[in-house]
Amino acid sequence: MTDEKKLKKPRSKRSFRANWFTWLNTIFFILFSLMTLYPIWYVIVGSFNNGVDYTAGGVWLWPREFTLDNYRVVVNDLRIWRGFGITIARTLVGTVLSLLFVAIVAYAMSRRELKGRKIFYYINIFTMFFGGGLIPTFLVIKWLGLLDSFWVYIIPGIYSVYNMIIMRSFFSSIPSDLREAAYVDGAGEYRIFFQIYLPLSTPVLATVGLWIIVGHWNTYIDAMYYVTNQDLFPLQYVLMRIINETSTPSSSTSSLPPMVFENVSAKTVSLAAIIISILPILCVYPFLQKFFTKGVTVGSLKG
Amino acid sequence: MKGAKTKKRKKWEKNDWQLLSMASLSVIFLAMFAYLPMFGLILAFKDGDGVLNINNAIFNSKWVGFDNFLEFMRDKEFTNVLWNTLGLNLISLIFTFPAPIIFALLINEIRSRKFKTTVQTITFFPQFLSWVIYGGIVLALINMDTGVLSKILVKLHLISSETDIIAEPKYFWAIVILTNIFKGVGWGSVIYLAAICGLDSALYEAAELDGANRFQKMWHITLPGILPTVIVYLLLSISGLLNNGVEQIFVFQNQLNLSASEVIDTFVLKYGIRNNMYSYATAIGFFKSVIALVLILGSNFIAKKITGEGII
Repeated sequence: MTDEKKLKKPRSKRSFRANWFTWLNTIFFILFSLMTLYPIWYVIVGSFNNGVDYTAGGVWLWPREFTLDNYRVVVNDLRIWRGFGITIARTLVGTVLSLLFVAIVAYAMSRRELKGRKIFYYINIFTMFFGGGLIPTFLVIKWLGLLDSFWVYIIPGIYSVYNMIIMRSFFSSIPSDLREAAYVDGAGEYRIFFQIYLPLSTPVLATVGLWIIVGHWNTYIDAMYYVTNQDLFPLQYVLMRIINETSTPSSSTSSLPPMVFENVSAKTVSLAAIIISILPILCVYPFLQKFFTKGVTVGSLKG
Repeated sequence: MKGAKTKKRKKWEKNDWQLLSMASLSVIFLAMFAYLPMFGLILAFKDGDGVLNINNAIFNSKWVGFDNFLEFMRDKEFTNVLWNTLGLNLISLIFTFPAPIIFALLINEIRSRKFKTTVQTITFFPQFLSWVIYGGIVLALINMDTGVLSKILVKLHLISSETDIIAEPKYFWAIVILTNIFKGVGWGSVIYLAAICGLDSALYEAAELDGANRFQKMWHITLPGILPTVIVYLLLSISGLLNNGVEQIFVFQNQLNLSASEVIDTFVLKYGIRNNMYSYATAIGFFKSVIALVLILGSNFIAKKITGEGII
């Protein structure tokens, strides 16, 4: 703060009003950051507190009766690990296939030589403004036999017109010299795409890829609509069911010593589950933030 | 050699077919997952409720005209569901749309780079959490017995006695709007900050010479400068108005707040998928799609009239 004032003074005489504003503004952002952080802290505290004691209320800054048993129960809950497995699998498979699919279409659409380009464009754009809605989509997915299958997480979301438009505008900005040289040498379009365009497109692939990754990691709505088999639930949907559970976890279905279950309640276990689910995001967050902030300019709109 | 280099090839050759096959991938996908469902909308005009075989439901059931739509309009929940869908989304837009713009303008006034990055690192984070996680945190915080929020609100005299906030329909919209703002405002400001960075600094210097204070600079230079970005994002928000927020609603919805939280999407899920009332639910979904289309075309038309710019 002090160096700041030193810097400012020589530039111009700051009016009282401006200084007053600077302080207020700084305080506002400090408060806002605290209000963003505190809820997470609150959940961390609760997750380390004895479940029975927590139910009495008043645990808000520091665990009153510290215990690790909530985490023991969560870590021993098979549903969580299965959920992690499904989520990781759908994120990996979904992102790779989706990027490839979208990029191939975007490449063709970026080429002026594409016959019937206008028609393709209108077929794509129209779907951004009008759709059949949930039930007809559900029936198509049922008809395709995708209900209660892992592929329901991948196939219906493999293509996105919005992402295609963003990639298309990136491909359009790649100079055509390389492509034309390859063409003269007799290279096919698939070869030009894979060997020239893809390697040059890492910025846009990273940006769109990260959007897709975050989407896959966080969504649960497709599981809610299309999946009833509990073994296929992704992490978020498992978590949602744990949060909505009201009965205290019992020792009957677990290999943990019964003592553990005396220290936990449904609430504190769900708090521990929330923290466990945040951890992977926290680990990649610095990376995410950097790429996303850069990506804002790559993904700047207007098709 | 030269001929091959010209922009438009006259004759169809191998590469044309290859490009065509690439672009056709999108047509195959959209035919399946966008156009086939649109064809399925004819279910809305048929009596296919409870007919589990899809072919029978679509092709062998009776035409009933607009009966399904009329039935929805006569449903005692109709006005409530419609009001929740339109009202909640519109009011939410009024509050959540300007929030990131104000956030960007304010954070732009922070001089210390370190402080700015710290605030951004913290406030961006919730954007990357799922609604299940973020909602779970909020639910823990507002729980009547164990949470702290209702105690704070009582202390601040904002509510008279400790209540179970999530069970009260009258607080539901406030929860949705506030969590929307807290989760998204930091990240939402990035696009406007980028727009502000792109503005010509000569304008600010000139204004400074003329003696403009920072509020005047904000009002006369920054805001008009980012207006095109604002309009594009406003149009996009209106286009997605009725489709956003289902994941959020499902997280906060429970049996007790249903009168404020039942929107078209949750209603369709209940009737269509859980009760197999395919035709009825398709009609309701159709109803929503048409409103959404009107909103998009209408807002785009108005934006074009006023500013000469639209997204379509």
